[in-house]
Amino acid sequence: MKLKLATVAAVVLGLMASAAFAQTKETLTIDLPNDAATLDPHLQWNTDSYTVYRNIFDNLLTRDTSGKIVPQIATEWKYDGDKTIIFKIRDDVTFQDGSKLTAEDVAFSMNRIIDPALKSPQLSQFDQIEKAEVVDPTTVKVTTKSPYPALLAQLVKLSIVPKSYVEKVGDQDFNLKPMGSGPYKMVEWKKGIQTELEANDKYWRGNPPFKKVVFRAVPDVSTRIADLKTGKADLIREVPPDQASAIESDSNTKLLAGETERVGYLYINAEAGPTKDVRVRQAIAYAIDKQGLVDALLEGYGKPVNVVGAEPIFGYTETVEGYPFDPEKAAQLIKEAGAEGATVEFLTSPSYPRALVEAIQQMVNEVGLNVTISSSDQATFLKRRQGDAENAGGMAFGAWSCACQDADGIIFPLFRSGSIWAKYKNEKYDALVDEARIILDEQKRKELYAQAYEILREDVPGLGLYQVYALYGVSKNLQWQPTANEAMFVMDMSWQQ
Amino acid sequence: MLKYTVQRLIQAVIAIFGVLTIVFVVMHLSGDPTLLLVPQDASAEMIAELRRQLGFDRPIWIQYLDYLYGLAQLDFGMSVVQRVPAFAIVASRIPYTVQLAAGALVVAIGVGIPAGIIMATMRGSAIERFLAAVVVTGQSVPTFLSAILLIFIFGVTLRWLPTSGAGEFRAMIMPSIALGALSMSTFARMTRIAIIDELSKDYVRAGLARGLSLGETVFRHVLRNASIPVITIAALEIGNLLAGAVIIETVFAWPGIGQLAIQSIQARDFLVVQVIVLLISFVYVLTSVLADLVYVVVDPRIRLVR
Repeated sequence: MKLKLATVAAVVLGLMASAAFAQTKETLTIDLPNDAATLDPHLQWNTDSYTVYRNIFDNLLTRDTSGKIVPQIATEWKYDGDKTIIFKIRDDVTFQDGSKLTAEDVAFSMNRIIDPALKSPQLSQFDQIEKAEVVDPTTVKVTTKSPYPALLAQLVKLSIVPKSYVEKVGDQDFNLKPMGSGPYKMVEWKKGIQTELEANDKYWRGNPPFKKVVFRAVPDVSTRIADLKTGKADLIREVPPDQASAIESDSNTKLLAGETERVGYLYINAEAGPTKDVRVRQAIAYAIDKQGLVDALLEGYGKPVNVVGAEPIFGYTETVEGYPFDPEKAAQLIKEAGAEGATVEFLTSPSYPRALVEAIQQMVNEVGLNVTISSSDQATFLKRRQGDAENAGGMAFGAWSCACQDADGIIFPLFRSGSIWAKYKNEKYDALVDEARIILDEQKRKELYAQAYEILREDVPGLGLYQVYALYGVSKNLQWQPTANEAMFVMDMSWQQ
Repeated sequence: MLKYTVQRLIQAVIAIFGVLTIVFVVMHLSGDPTLLLVPQDASAEMIAELRRQLGFDRPIWIQYLDYLYGLAQLDFGMSVVQRVPAFAIVASRIPYTVQLAAGALVVAIGVGIPAGIIMATMRGSAIERFLAAVVVTGQSVPTFLSAILLIFIFGVTLRWLPTSGAGEFRAMIMPSIALGALSMSTFARMTRIAIIDELSKDYVRAGLARGLSLGETVFRHVLRNASIPVITIAALEIGNLLAGAVIIETVFAWPGIGQLAIQSIQARDFLVVQVIVLLISFVYVLTSVLADLVYVVVDPRIRLVR
């Protein structure tokens, strides 16, 4: 009997040892809050969709870990006049079906996304492009409607799709069976459940790190964490700060915090209600303890900002002073404005952290205003927030990223008069951001944004609160550096036993 | 019988049509998906353009007629979010919902009815008190809590069962228990009351007086008579279970109709919501008609006339 037990123990130990020596990991499993809405990279633009499809496709340009725009499918580019830019295309890239990627495909991709017939929600990011033309098999000429400095930043988001394949299968089937030139090929898409990808052995940038990648849709965060702890998932997205310690304390998992270009901000209505008075808006700015919010509600996973923008964006400036936390000064300003006890409606939706909204409510109430929270679902919230100033509430919290790392993608849509988000009008400000949008000189643009930020500081149509850190829970063996634009390229990951 | 069935079906069609119309109007009045689809930095013109392309700029009654016109040809339309036919999206989720409902029903009936019988026949015993505690627990613990507790105990700590997902039998166990718990309590309570009610009747006392054992009396005579109210409950419960268990499905990442419904409503994916509503109202009507027909089989004294 003893002998038998010893034999069994030896076999078990042997099995364990061989498992431990297995160096490579076959399948990487990633838990996302939702399934991809579409896998056609030219249709839906939301984090869960592009997290999946950007691993199937290559983009014209990309960003390196420092955030600099670098070549991917394009090798180099140069301006020809201020509305035309010439891209040189790699000639050693093939799609997953073996066909060659050429300038035809690049031009097709641009013209497809700006074609109204596709009804792409991403059109607004590319609508400054007038047309793309093939010059020769490795050269594409892109013409913009006006000089457009943010073009390269937008093109970082453009996936290159195969012209002949899309034309052959049609838009609807291309969405269901996407095929690109990226590191992973689609194997099976079980809608609402998971998407399974397989390594593209002939990928031009080398062998992908895992044979298979599975993206699962797991809406509940407690379940995502349970999946990670039991090894059912190797990487999970959207960990709330209050759950961070549960992941850090487990010896099999670790927490990765990515400092993003996303900025948590407070919109303050400058065109209607008690906040129409600039003193009331300044009072709100003085009333908020940003460091306190970061420490208490974000567990330190965030960094207070001085402007509506975070460090990784072009145009961010340190020269503009932020509002210090000064409740006495705030109370005094409220008194001067005669706004004591005035009711300010705080619009929100379940998409925004309730605790944060209530903490801000409390801080602003303490300096003499009466903040009431109106919560509705996201669609209704957006309808009010983007509608008439009279009905757009007094304030609202938001977390903004244009995924373009440029001030143009933040403060232009938020505060330029005429934009749907802006409840504010200042002609001097409008002129500055308008000019910064159509010149190519980087130094000049930076100066313009510094001036624009100074005006925003004075007028406070919005208040930057903190730089958002994206929190990921990962297996302790996964090596990966999260990026400022919240992209998740499996190609950049590796596994170490 | 035939006349009755036809009448019921006509009522059902009117009810379903009414529900569809109400949902259509309410959904459309509360906004459309365009704002949720565009990137944050989209301009007003871009949003208006996309809204026009998607057809949401038309007057609501035109959209409604357009929808009915499609429906009449069994065309349920395309999902604006996923760009896939709405019917296909919902159809792909039905097997998961049916699986989970069946699992929950097994738990509910398999545990609930025996528990009810025992509680009715062994009144005052320790077993009755224990079962009463189980029933109250099943009834009062909210599903989001029981689901997370199950995951924590059997998934994370003991590692007996997978923490989420669908596709294998083991993954079905925890969601079935969490979803079936409330129905289980309802079945137990209804069975207990119905049996106690029957036990006080003359035929039972006559049987016992003639020397039949309690067990024999219950299984031969009482159960059949006590089953009418239980069948009514079963019809409602099946409807509830199939109509989707939003919370359970969300917590266990179970890709059923409930999860799809809540996501489609939030995304204002109108046509998908309409298909789900159509399906759920159809299930409710069908189960209640079926229950009526089962009554006749169980108790021939019941006549379906009016």
